Amino acid sequence: MTVTRRIDAVQNQKLDMTISNDTSQKIVDILVIGAGASGGAAAAWLAEAGFSVKCLEQGYWQDPSKYASASKDYEFEMLTNWAPDPNVRQRDEDYPVNDSNSPITPVMFNGVGGSTILWTAHTPRFHPSDFRVKTLDGVADDWPISYDELDEFYDLNDEVMGCSGINGDPANPPRSPRQMPPLPLGKDGKKLISGFEKLGWHWWPSDSYVNSQRYGEERDACNFCGHNHMGCYQRAKSSTDLTYWPRALRSGATIETGARVRRVTTDELGRVTGAEYVDSKGNERRQRARAVIMAANGIGTPRLLLNSVSTAHAEGLANSSGLVGKNLMFHPFAMISGTFPEKMNTWQGPLGNIAMSQEFYETDKSRGFVRGYTYQFQRSLGPAWIANGGFRDPVPWGKGHHDELEKRLGSVMAIAVIGEDLPEEHNTVELDPELTDSDGIPTPRLNYTLSKNSRDQLDHAIENAKKALKAAGADDIYVDPMMRQSGWHLMGTARMGNDPTRSVVNKWGQSHDVDNLFIVDGSVFVTGAAVNPTPTIQALALRTADYIVSNRQDIKG
Amino acid sequence: MTDNTDIDEQLLEAILNRLLPAIGEVPAAGQMKLVPEIIRLSGRQARFQNQFSNALRVFKSTNLEFRSTTVDEQDDAIKAFEAEHPELFGSLLTISYIVYYKDSRVHKRIGWSGRTPQPDGNEMEPWDESVLENVRKREPFWRQV
Ligand SMILES: Cc1cc2nc3c(=O)[nH]c(=O)nc-3n(C[C@H](O)[C@H](O)[C@H](O)COP(=O)(O)OP(=O)(O)OC[C@H]3O[C@@H](n4cnc5c(N)ncnc54)[C@H](O)[C@@H]3O)c2cc1C
Ligand code: SF4
Repeated sequence: MTVTRRIDAVQNQKLDMTISNDTSQKIVDILVIGAGASGGAAAAWLAEAGFSVKCLEQGYWQDPSKYASASKDYEFEMLTNWAPDPNVRQRDEDYPVNDSNSPITPVMFNGVGGSTILWTAHTPRFHPSDFRVKTLDGVADDWPISYDELDEFYDLNDEVMGCSGINGDPANPPRSPRQMPPLPLGKDGKKLISGFEKLGWHWWPSDSYVNSQRYGEERDACNFCGHNHMGCYQRAKSSTDLTYWPRALRSGATIETGARVRRVTTDELGRVTGAEYVDSKGNERRQRARAVIMAANGIGTPRLLLNSVSTAHAEGLANSSGLVGKNLMFHPFAMISGTFPEKMNTWQGPLGNIAMSQEFYETDKSRGFVRGYTYQFQRSLGPAWIANGGFRDPVPWGKGHHDELEKRLGSVMAIAVIGEDLPEEHNTVELDPELTDSDGIPTPRLNYTLSKNSRDQLDHAIENAKKALKAAGADDIYVDPMMRQSGWHLMGTARMGNDPTRSVVNKWGQSHDVDNLFIVDGSVFVTGAAVNPTPTIQALALRTADYIVSNRQDIKG
Repeated sequence: MTDNTDIDEQLLEAILNRLLPAIGEVPAAGQMKLVPEIIRLSGRQARFQNQFSNALRVFKSTNLEFRSTTVDEQDDAIKAFEAEHPELFGSLLTISYIVYYKDSRVHKRIGWSGRTPQPDGNEMEPWDESVLENVRKREPFWRQV
């Protein structure tokens, strides 16, 4: 298939976001629910192709000049108002998630840009083998699409988001030239890499959606402040409020912020007709649409589908397979940190955008587990972050405190393990029978247990990470065998497939049950691979949008 | 939600003295007049609002004479509290560390600039492609399908 490059070269018009809050309720072709990574990509593509598009987003626009990295209380802010866990952050626009039955807590952001406001923007791609795990390794299911079918959408997404990196990685298929050179490795990055070099293990500078030089609309180069996880003051880290949304709005798409969708509505035939939502003033509203695109993430989307019960959809919308909310996948994260004898100012440079190793990515059955993992290299931050543990245990209080703080500050680096988590039906997002958000809408409850395969992978990765840290010269190695606050990759809860009894959407992201309902977020993942998922989520969103443009002109009013 | 108005400031100072003892020219944390800032910040967001004041209340209920005991007894009391109420203790310790490491006297001692991360950011050496020399020699090893 040839993709028409509808998302054209960057336009330099300025857009005043403050006047872009659409509270009118006229019928639109496409209603997008959620203005995050996937919603932005789909909306821009469709608006540029002439569809009328409206997005309902429960959160708000962010002003980068107010991000907490410029506040004197930034070390307080990162644990509170900018915490990635919505149960901790508790902003009005957040909804609580009952995670008492999960060893991993969900992290996300609710606002225009979605979780890309807080993300690290470490952006590797899936490998071709990730789409064929059943065929190759006899586990889970194959995807109904291949790497090659997604390749050009990956490229397109790289272009819009802006990718720093370099070609030639022997662990991955060749890819198009990156938009910008890699981010510098820093003294600390080079030090960690030296361990991998000594062991003869693969490493490669990470693809990152972080500007190593000016790129995009009024987006500066990274100035190495280190604090990606509270929004980027420099606008150097790509988030969809800075990339896709301005383009979508210029092409006529609109967003209503502070608009929390209660349920997707359907007619007597079961086709979607729009959504009921609560607006920013607490009024109950209705938005009509000829088609709906769900982009509320791997927890928000199943929550909404399960909340959208009707006569035609008694078990929840698009749920004839019973698989909505099932097969929840995270990437279980282990974190192995070491302290180096030398001071390397490890707070300089983005926290997790140095390099990665995929030495142990592909299946090797002699290891005792299937599939594999990626290592993502990590820096550390300032004194209070270090004192409070950062990626490890807090610095002890009392007599030994000052010496230990001095030892760790500027010297701690870590290796994060991103393991492939295979889908299991008992790992679920369901509706909590009691808990609701501030608008009385039932909230999600997670049930998750780590599989033996995932545990074995993590244990293997931990032992090898220790070797790499030691080879690089680190001591005082500390292992967090599975980080609790690491549910940043939300996948699998409305999976894609050819068989309507075994999947929720088809290979175009279209519901098997409802032909004018599409899903574009990480819910559609069949398997999770062992990489950060967002380039794949966005490439899939573009592909679904392209399908609508090419095959569903009937949706246009 | 509990507020922070009934905090026993002298008790908090005594605990801070044990958590972060004096070093060099920097006095122990309880003598640095950090308490008003700890109370202000901990009252600002849900994460600490309840936990922090509860921590002090629970600690006080079992350590009524804390301030008049010896430093060793004080350390033992804090350790017992830490073991019995890890979450409450954790919130007290976290907010204490945050406020302590905001202080310019501490910055001076540890050689920390004290600047906020933005707007100035940091310097880094530019990207240097020669680091790829070894890894580039490796044959592609991704799995063909
Ligand atoms: C701290 C952190 C670090 C991360 N680092 C990386 C990384 O380095 N690399 C990577 O690939 N990925 C990373 N991720 C994950 C990445 O951010 C997500 O994969 C991506 O944003 C998911 O896109 P999405 O469109 O599915 O959902 P989101 O971006 O989460 O957007 C969903 C949107 O839907 C809205 N919404 C939900 N429910 C409703 C409702 N009922 N009504 C109205 N609106 C609703 C939400 O408010 C939100 O804005 C990270 C995430 C976090 C939190
Ligand atoms: S480290 Fe760079 S990308 Fe990250 S927040 Fe700072 S300036 Fe932005």
